[in-house]
Order: sequence, then C-alpha cells, then structure tokens
Amino acid sequence: MGKLRSRSMGLVVMSVVLLAVSLVMLTPFLIMVLTSFKTMGEIQSPTFSLFPKVWHFDNYAEALSRGDWLKYFYNSFVVTIITVVISLVLNSMAGYSFARLRFPGRDILFFSVLIGIMVPAQTTMIPTFLMMKQFPLAGGNNLFGQDGIGFINSYTGLILPFIAGSFGIFLCRQFFLNFPRALDEASQIDGASKFRVFYQIYLPLSKPILATLAIFKTTSAWNDYMWPLIMTNTEGMRTVQLGLTIFRGETNVEWNLLMAATTLVVLPLVVLFLAAQKYFVQGIVTTGLKA
Amino acid sequence: MEPTLSRSVETNGKIRPKQRLSIDYVGYAMIAPGYLIYFLFIFIPLVVGVYYSFTNYNFYSAPEFVGLQNYARLLQDALFGKAMYNTFIYALFTIVPQLFLGLILAVLLNGKLFGRVFSRASIYIPNVTSMVAVSMIWLWIYDPALGILNRMIKVFGIDPIQWLYNPNTAMMAVVIMSIWKSLGYTMIVYLAGLQSIPSSLYEAAHMDGASKIRQFFSITIPMLKPTTFFILVMSCINSFMVFEQVNIMTAGGPLNSTTTVVHQIYLRGFQDFQMGYASAMAIVLFLITLVITLINFKYGNQGDDLDVD
Repeated sequence: MGKLRSRSMGLVVMSVVLLAVSLVMLTPFLIMVLTSFKTMGEIQSPTFSLFPKVWHFDNYAEALSRGDWLKYFYNSFVVTIITVVISLVLNSMAGYSFARLRFPGRDILFFSVLIGIMVPAQTTMIPTFLMMKQFPLAGGNNLFGQDGIGFINSYTGLILPFIAGSFGIFLCRQFFLNFPRALDEASQIDGASKFRVFYQIYLPLSKPILATLAIFKTTSAWNDYMWPLIMTNTEGMRTVQLGLTIFRGETNVEWNLLMAATTLVVLPLVVLFLAAQKYFVQGIVTTGLKA
Repeated sequence: MEPTLSRSVETNGKIRPKQRLSIDYVGYAMIAPGYLIYFLFIFIPLVVGVYYSFTNYNFYSAPEFVGLQNYARLLQDALFGKAMYNTFIYALFTIVPQLFLGLILAVLLNGKLFGRVFSRASIYIPNVTSMVAVSMIWLWIYDPALGILNRMIKVFGIDPIQWLYNPNTAMMAVVIMSIWKSLGYTMIVYLAGLQSIPSSLYEAAHMDGASKIRQFFSITIPMLKPTTFFILVMSCINSFMVFEQVNIMTAGGPLNSTTTVVHQIYLRGFQDFQMGYASAMAIVLFLITLVITLINFKYGNQGDDLDVD
C-alpha cells in the first residue's frame, strides 16, 4: 500500500513539473498576446503588470492599418494554398508511379530525386533567383530572358520552388510501397487504366499521407521568410512574414502593434496545428523529417 | 533510405514472369510534371550553382570564369571564418541542451501523466510558428529597457543586460530562443523512439529487480542510440542553415558576433551582388550538409528506427 502511494505521489510531482515546463514554453506566446492589448503608455511605465489594465482590442485594427495587411494575408493565402494543392497532386502522382509502376529508367530517375533531399534550399537560392529573373518570355523578358523582370514579384516566382518537392515524392512513394500487390492485380483484371487505379483506388486510401504532406507544405510556405525576401521587392507582393518586419524597421518599435500583428500571423498555423495535431505528430513520427 | 532500396527490390522480385514483360509507359507521364519541376528548380540550380562558384558574377554583366579564385578567397576571408565559427558555436550550444532536455521531456511524457496532451501541444507549438514571428516575440522579451527579461532580473537586483546589443551575450540570446523553438521537435522524435522500445525489455529488467534509474541507463539510453544519432544529424543540418533569427534579431551584429554562413551568403549575394563568391559559400555549405547526411546513412540506419507509430 505504501509503495503504491509513493508511486502515485511521484506521478503527481512529475505531472506538476511537466505542467510548469508547459507554462514556461507558452510564456512567450502569453506575453505576445497580453502585450498586444496594452497601450504604449502602459508598456513604457516603470510599474510592470502582466495583464493590461484596459484591454485595447483596437490595437489590432491599428496594427493592420500599418501597411497593406489585407494584401499580405491575401498573398500568403494564395501562395500557401496553390503550393499545397499543386504539390499534393504532383507528388502523389510521381510517388505512385515510382512505387507501383515499372518502366525503364525508373530507379535512376528516383535516385536523382533523392539527391534533392540532401540539397539545402539555401544552396540553390542564388541560381534559382537568377533563373526566375531570366526566365524566357516571362515578365517582359525576351526569348533569351533579358530586358524584363521574369518571375520576380510574381506568385509564380514565389510558388514554383516550393512545389518542387523531393521530400514529398519520397514520402508518397514510401507510403504507396506498403500497399498489397493484389490491389493492382485486381484492378488490372477489371481493365482499369493505371491512372484510374491511382485516383480511384490509391488516392482515397492515402488520406493520412496527403494530410501529413499538406501540413508540412502549409507550414513551410506560410512561414517562409527568406524566399519572399529575395523574390519580391514591392509592397503589393509582400507576404505576412515580410509584413511583420516593417514594424521592426522603425527606431521606436510600437511593441503593442507588433505583437498584435504577430498574433494574427501566428494564429492560422496554431489553429491548424491544434486541429490536425494527431496527423501532425504522426507525420513527424513516421517520417522523422520536417519539410 | 536503405530500407527503401531493399523493399523495392523485394517488390520487383515478387512480380510473376508473365507480368515482368508489361511496362507501364503511363508512368513517365505521371512522373513528368513533378519530376520536371524538381529538375528545373532543384537539380539544375545545384549544377548552375557549382558553375557560378567558379566565376565572378555581379548580376549585371556576364559571368567570368575565374577557376578556384572564390574558394581561395574564402580561405582568407576573416568574416567568413567568423561566420563559420559562429555557426559551429550556435550548433554546439543549441544541439546539446536540446538533446538532453528533449530526452527528459519525452521520457516524462511517455508515462501516463496528468495533462499529457496539453504538455505535448505546448512544447511543440513554438515549432509550428514562423521563425519571423518567434524572433519578434523574443526581440520584445530581450528589449533592454522594457522587455520582460530585464524587468524580471531587476527584481533580483541585477542591472539590465543589453542582451542582443552586447557581443558577449548576443549569440547566447539567439541560442536560447532557438532551443525554445526546436525543443518540441526533439521531444516528438524521442517520443517515437521510446515507443519503439519493446516493453518486454523493461518487464524483464523489473523482474530482475533493476531500479527505474538503472533501467533508464541500461535500456532506454542504449536503445535510443539510433534516434539520438538521427536527431543529432538533423539538428546539425538545420543549425548550418540558421539565418532568419539572425537577420531579424541582430542583423549579424554586434561586431559580427552573430553572423552565420547563410547570413554571409545572403549579404554577399543579395546586398553586394557578388553572386559568384556567394555561390562558393553555398557550395561549401552543401558539401558540409552532404558529409553529415552521408554519415547518417552509413551509421544511422535512418528510417529503420523511426518507422514506428
């Protein structure tokens, strides 16, 4: 009896420790949200209180009026959604072919895709930028890619490098490899084409992997900073992550407004994470990778 | 990726002789769009990047071939040396605590504790938020005059510290934030590793009268070796890419105390338009990543150990 009690006491202590750790981890977000409701006067006052004396909800409207936020959010949504949809379609199709179909050169093609997993985006960033700039017949360019701006400042420029996914193809292939061979054979007897087998049989069964990939792609597209930073140079093409850095440029940072804007930028992904937590954690556990 | 190969060979082997003849040319069509984009936007840029690294290219006139000149310059560039050093320091000081804390948290969260789901989510959430947003939050925390950190230490009678504006503390400030951001990832991967350890091992040890602590050191730690190795490799690679927090929080300063390799690539390439020289840095970065990845394939048995639920 005594041993059992000391065991449950241990569990209580550990639960308390974990809860404390969780709160410490959440503290920065808490500070962000609480600051977003304060006035600058309250922020600068020598007496500090964690919670705002008066909750200023209009900070959010004020923050959004500093810059074309409607446009930034629109840009980020467009880029993220198109990236996710296109990469799901292309990667699942390629993954299926690599896993289930036989044709000459398949393994060599797949190996070359694997090389891509080892290439950090930062390595290819300069050539990719120059390619986008000099893309023939785009953005006023001539056939040799001169005289215009190419895909710079365009959704195409923002999206294209993100849908190029070695990782996505690899992930889908691994998933489709585990399907039983009998599935293909049965549908073959029924005379269905390979493409029909893919979208009528395989695709409906691949929700877990598509969800995982969708989450990875959403976070990497929504959260990216470096590529939009390089790729865009006008107000109208900024994404939310670039929008946040406007506040930073000023000498006197208006922390309440910056924190309000940050909250709004963080919110969609936190909501997505909480909604898809099961898939999210599973996706990381099964792949061990983060796109 | 090794298990992939063996598995695909196995699948091929199972095909009956009659079917061996059928070749699905439709496969080319289904691979084409995805492969084309990969080829155009990853493979070609990699090859072109290697070419640029042997040239002087200022973006406005045609690239001029200069051989190994850029690489020779890298060896003498004190700023690049500083960036390399900073990147190593950053890697060392983020990875070690992260491994240690991630393991402890995973072990705690593996048990049936109260509020387990809440804890997992709270520890993981920093990882899904953007580095830009997180950098903004920590800029506010580290603010010398008004930030909460200096307000807190004031209670203990400590003078305000210029966290991000002092060359001695700036890197540590960035490191602390980065540990907070990526701890959740380490924890989740460790959690996966823990769940793959057969419970029979613990039962046997319990029968033999081994204490919990003894079990941890004799079963948990050795069984998690591949997981630890995997996290180590992944964190190394990620650490070498560190850029956003540096560019936003310190812009590499003060006195270049936080500039990193990717930050240097960005400055040389997109501010000074020394595309050739920046490409040489990028290729060095790629080679480092490649070596780390190959070590992982050789010793890590990646995938084999993590392919569990």
